Amino acid sequence: MLGGSDVFGLTWTRQLPSLDSMSDSTDSRRSFLRSCAMGVAGLVVSGAVSRSEGLLAATRLRGPDDPEVPNEEVARILKGLFGDRPIRRGHVSLDMPAVAEDGRVVPVIIESDLPMSKQRYVKGVHLIVDHNPDAHLAAFHLTPALGQVSISTRIKMKRTTWVRAILETNTGEVWAGYTRVLVTLNGCG
Amino acid sequence: MMTNHIGEARIKVPDRITRGEVIVVNSIISHPMDTGFFRNADGDPIPAYFIKDVVVTYGEEEVARFEWTSGISRDPVVSFTVQADKEAPLTMIWTDNQGAAFKHSVGISFASA
Repeated sequence: MLGGSDVFGLTWTRQLPSLDSMSDSTDSRRSFLRSCAMGVAGLVVSGAVSRSEGLLAATRLRGPDDPEVPNEEVARILKGLFGDRPIRRGHVSLDMPAVAEDGRVVPVIIESDLPMSKQRYVKGVHLIVDHNPDAHLAAFHLTPALGQVSISTRIKMKRTTWVRAILETNTGEVWAGYTRVLVTLNGCG
Repeated sequence: MMTNHIGEARIKVPDRITRGEVIVVNSIISHPMDTGFFRNADGDPIPAYFIKDVVVTYGEEEVARFEWTSGISRDPVVSFTVQADKEAPLTMIWTDNQGAAFKHSVGISFASA
């Protein structure tokens, strides 16, 4: 249950960064403007983000229907985690809102039908948000004691992007689920 | 508006648990999860300050370990499952990037038939 802040009868306060404080930094300002621009552009030409074909075309990390690897950082993360093993689509449900109205709090539910027995289990779940500043957002290391793969949390998203949930089994198989999430202007914070 | 102290945590498990059942564990901890990208009202940078590591133990056994970045939302929630095969405490330890560790436990016990 990700419903929110009142799950345990507590009120969790939320700090809002102000626009003024953001514009003090050139860097923040630039990324802020870019985020906003992307937010708008995303609405109009969803998916028509500039694609760096050259270096990444050689990456053999994705199947024909999978989202492109958008930049070298994501390519490096995938390579570092999974080496040359194929990342196959399947056995992973990545449930996120199609439109995230507040990019500071975006619910994520990751589930899998893969077994969690002592012989065969999912040992890691990696959450990668392509266009976030820190794309490899979280890693969840699991054991058979969990009984099944069902993890939920809430994340921050900078702008419209593909999100990848990639599982690794103890036998070395790699399975992925992908979701594209549109982050509206509120996500700039 | 109520303010929570950094590190104040809650873990929730079902009221009635039967042996062998896979239960859902919900958790929340109060923490700012600052990314380091923002400045305060005086223009000073707010340094990165976030939970980077979460360890879950059930009895003596480490059953899960999470590595986080500041991309997890403020006041992090995480839920996961555990196969309730013994009566033992379930403990979570959240450690932030400044080295502070916050520990919270909840007892797993079975409903009498």
